[in-house]
Amino acid sequence: MASPPAFEALFLGVVDSAFGTALRLIRNRPDAEDLVQEAALLAFRGFGSFQPGTNFNAWFFRILMNCFYSRHRVSQRRPSTVDWDDTPDLYLYARSGETGFPTGGPDPAAELLERLGAEQVAGAIERLPEEYRIVSTLYFMEDLTYEEIGHALDCPIGTVRSRLHRGRKMLQKALWQVAQEAGIVTPVPVGQPGEVASGPTHV
Amino acid sequence: MDRLTCEAAFRQLDDYLDRALDAEEMRLIDEHLATCAACLTEFTFERSVLEHVRDKLRDVAVPPELLARISAQLADRTPSPPDPE
Repeated sequence: MASPPAFEALFLGVVDSAFGTALRLIRNRPDAEDLVQEAALLAFRGFGSFQPGTNFNAWFFRILMNCFYSRHRVSQRRPSTVDWDDTPDLYLYARSGETGFPTGGPDPAAELLERLGAEQVAGAIERLPEEYRIVSTLYFMEDLTYEEIGHALDCPIGTVRSRLHRGRKMLQKALWQVAQEAGIVTPVPVGQPGEVASGPTHV
Repeated sequence: MDRLTCEAAFRQLDDYLDRALDAEEMRLIDEHLATCAACLTEFTFERSVLEHVRDKLRDVAVPPELLARISAQLADRTPSPPDPE
């Protein structure tokens, strides 16, 4: 039988990111708490299968995500408020420049993102299609490699990589939409040049 | 030795930011960024976006009562040590 102090010591190192992940995925605090509690109990029961010296956080996240999927069916596709087709690269960088947001300072990304609250950023991720939202949430909430995310989601590494890269591009578009809705940035009028081609903006 | 073009470096932007490239690939991009201010600006911006999004999303505290419930639950499921003879 696993000794509680050994398990709890490891668990305490992952519980913050696990709860944060649950909250960002479910967007309901009581349900997120239940999810983490259920995953903790399952992990404790299965602690004998954990290989000492390997990444406990990655191992726990596999259990957490299995609990998530068993409790929460993939939601029915809601009509998206964002057109994701061919989201260009460097979306925030390009749009910031177009609308006069400073891009030459020491940290222009910070100048934009510091005007958004945590819930606004979480709301932007929530707009992503489900498969991109889940991969992106894991990426941001815990320091997992592509392989570890793939293991947590029972998903090939190549799929993780492509969803993460595309998801991050989509997220930039969603963040820009949130910033527009919050009045932080000015919308570019319809018909004006607003999209840039993929690739570096200076080539 | 071949140096990377801006387009070649850009194609690896996401993997570079995720540190998912091998040492030589990382070195070539670092070398390019040391000589191309425009690419450095773009890479730095993208990295900063990821860092700030990460910081915002991780700004969540686990409720103390949840930790207490879990600790109690685990303690309930641990057998007591046998009495010493």
